[in-house]
Amino acid sequence: MRLQSITLTNFRQFADVQTFDLTSDSVRPVSLLFGANGAGKTTFLNAFTWALYGTMSDDVEQQDRMITDSIWRALPIGDSAEVAVEVRFDHEGRDYRVLRSAALRKESDQQGVFSPKVQLWTTKPDGSSETVGAPQETIHSILPRGVSRSFFFNGERIENLVKKGAYAEVQKDIKVLLDLEQVERAIAHLPKVDRKLTADLKKHGGDKASGIQEAIDVLDERETAAQEELKVLESDLATLTEERDSVTDLLRQHAESAPIQAERDAVGNELEEARSARDAAIAERALLVATRGFQAFTDTLSESTAAMAQSLYQKGALPAPLKREFVDQLLDDGSCICGTPLTEHSVPWEHVKDWRQRAGLQAVETAWQQLSGQIAPLSAARDELCDSLAALMKRIGAERDRVTRLEERKSELDGKLRDSRMEDVQALETNRMELDGRIGVKQQRIGAVKAELQTIAKEVDQKTKERSRAVVTDELATKARSRSDLVQSVKRALEDILAIREEDIRRRLDAELKAVFKSITHQNHVPTLSAGFELTLYKDVNGVQLPVPKSTGENQILSLSFVAAVSKLAREIRKERRAEGDSVEDAGTYPIVMDAAFGSLDQDYQEAVSRALAKMAPQLVVLVSKSQGLGKVVTELMPYVSHLGVIETHTTAPGSVSDDIELEGMSYPYIRAAESDHSELKVIK
Amino acid sequence: MNEEHHVNGGQAVTEGRTEKQVLEELSAEERALLKRVLEIERAKLHLTAYDATDDLLAAVKEILP
Repeated sequence: MRLQSITLTNFRQFADVQTFDLTSDSVRPVSLLFGANGAGKTTFLNAFTWALYGTMSDDVEQQDRMITDSIWRALPIGDSAEVAVEVRFDHEGRDYRVLRSAALRKESDQQGVFSPKVQLWTTKPDGSSETVGAPQETIHSILPRGVSRSFFFNGERIENLVKKGAYAEVQKDIKVLLDLEQVERAIAHLPKVDRKLTADLKKHGGDKASGIQEAIDVLDERETAAQEELKVLESDLATLTEERDSVTDLLRQHAESAPIQAERDAVGNELEEARSARDAAIAERALLVATRGFQAFTDTLSESTAAMAQSLYQKGALPAPLKREFVDQLLDDGSCICGTPLTEHSVPWEHVKDWRQRAGLQAVETAWQQLSGQIAPLSAARDELCDSLAALMKRIGAERDRVTRLEERKSELDGKLRDSRMEDVQALETNRMELDGRIGVKQQRIGAVKAELQTIAKEVDQKTKERSRAVVTDELATKARSRSDLVQSVKRALEDILAIREEDIRRRLDAELKAVFKSITHQNHVPTLSAGFELTLYKDVNGVQLPVPKSTGENQILSLSFVAAVSKLAREIRKERRAEGDSVEDAGTYPIVMDAAFGSLDQDYQEAVSRALAKMAPQLVVLVSKSQGLGKVVTELMPYVSHLGVIETHTTAPGSVSDDIELEGMSYPYIRAAESDHSELKVIK
Repeated sequence: MNEEHHVNGGQAVTEGRTEKQVLEELSAEERALLKRVLEIERAKLHLTAYDATDDLLAAVKEILP
């Protein structure tokens, strides 16, 4: 399927008739459309699914307001307005035009419910055109609804594709896309053909052959019953397995929360310790200031004291060269050191006594010496005080930071534990074991039924051989027998082909998925498609494969990789078509139309996804806003773009709302003030 | 992987066998019918209400008249 164009008529924001050309080739497969929030990107995406399937995605609000509001408002009561979407496309050598439309009569301002009708026309290679009788069914055969979700999608929601449950439907539809469905249908239909043929054999085959045929019929009935039972069993098993997986998930969350709990405890203890270390440092600082704080103010004091003492010393005031105790001794002895007798009130006595006044006391000098000895170390002590204070301040700061950090971490962990809603572990474990038991019983039964089917098949084979040896005289019966043999062996061959195709497709899809995923992500995660076509993601930890809990971003990349892989494989498989004979040139080609394609991915991923998709999709329609699309996305995609457009928003909002978009060096209107709210598809190239 | 077998309708399919091999093991008539059956089924894939029995029966009778 290759899109050629889309035409919208009064379709929600898109008033009147607006067309966008989408024809592209393998060199430039991309159509890029820019639009502001609310411009109608999601509407544009939904226009495709509405035209093809009559449905819009759940995220489209007010689904019953299909006709452009301004058109509806202006419509007189009693008149009718039309809403329509037409998509032109070609598929396997034929051109198609699908038109879904409805006319709605205005009864009130509210738009009523209407039933749109779908029409499909096809143009054959010879140019003749015809109406297709079963339009919806034909569209489903071109692109099944389930698969279409992989090709028309909202990037922000695409991760739903790989979520449990949703995938089962996708899985079913992939069978159509990858040519398994017709084989399955043939295998289901051929026994009915055989029954018709063998009815003739029973009627005309004579006793022996008829008897054998009756036995074969009984075996056939047993086979049908066993197959029915197998189907039921397998579906039960799937349900049980899903249930068990969700219980295991819950248990894993428990296991995940255990380390959080342990970390929170450790952080709690460390926080206590940090708080007391911080308080101790603060107390130490207080003590230091109280006991030695004065030293900080001795800066000028020591200098002035030294200067004061020096000047006293120089004046002879301090200390004296002569000790008073020495003079007193001379006066007591009554003799001078020169031998002169010192008689009281004599001239020498008076002279020596004068010296007594001028002599200093020993005690005073000792004090002075002590004092002068202390002035010098005072400055060193002051420096040391400063250093100690600085060290303490640093310690306090560090402890405060540690406390803050730990408080933050603890809050974070508290929150994590609070948010996980968990059932009791024991109850979960019991539940899991019980489910395991039930799964075991189902698996045993499945094994038994499969063995029974094998036995039946052998017996049928045996009987068929007996039948071929039995003497049949009637010509009709002989013919019926040969035909039945033919049908039987074709059915067996188809069963082989189905098994081969299933395995081949799974293996190739798996390889492709791995390659695409790896080209996008920088994480060492590996996606795997299991034997049951189930999608899982694991990482390799020292040779052990561990499942990875997928994040939204990861799921988006996984889904995009899956879409790209399916898209590529669908084309490849049809190119190498086998039993069905050759297929047409564009077989298995499907467009990818995506809104907000890059969802919440960061820039690196946006770039990698753009690159991967531009190369992998045979046709790509990308809807982006300025903020999503400019930059790396546009740089990656532009070389592949054949159509570039803007969904121009026209708004009645007051004030200066105009905005432009710059593309390839030119400026284009992006948002414009207008008399009615609507959007216009503007083609840039 | 070679020892593994898929069981389908009682026939063991050895891994590694190809679709081409399966086709080659068939007689000309069987091959013709198989191709015809797949063509019919594929052409009517979109019709859920379709009953293939008559068309398939006609195909068988065409090949073995």
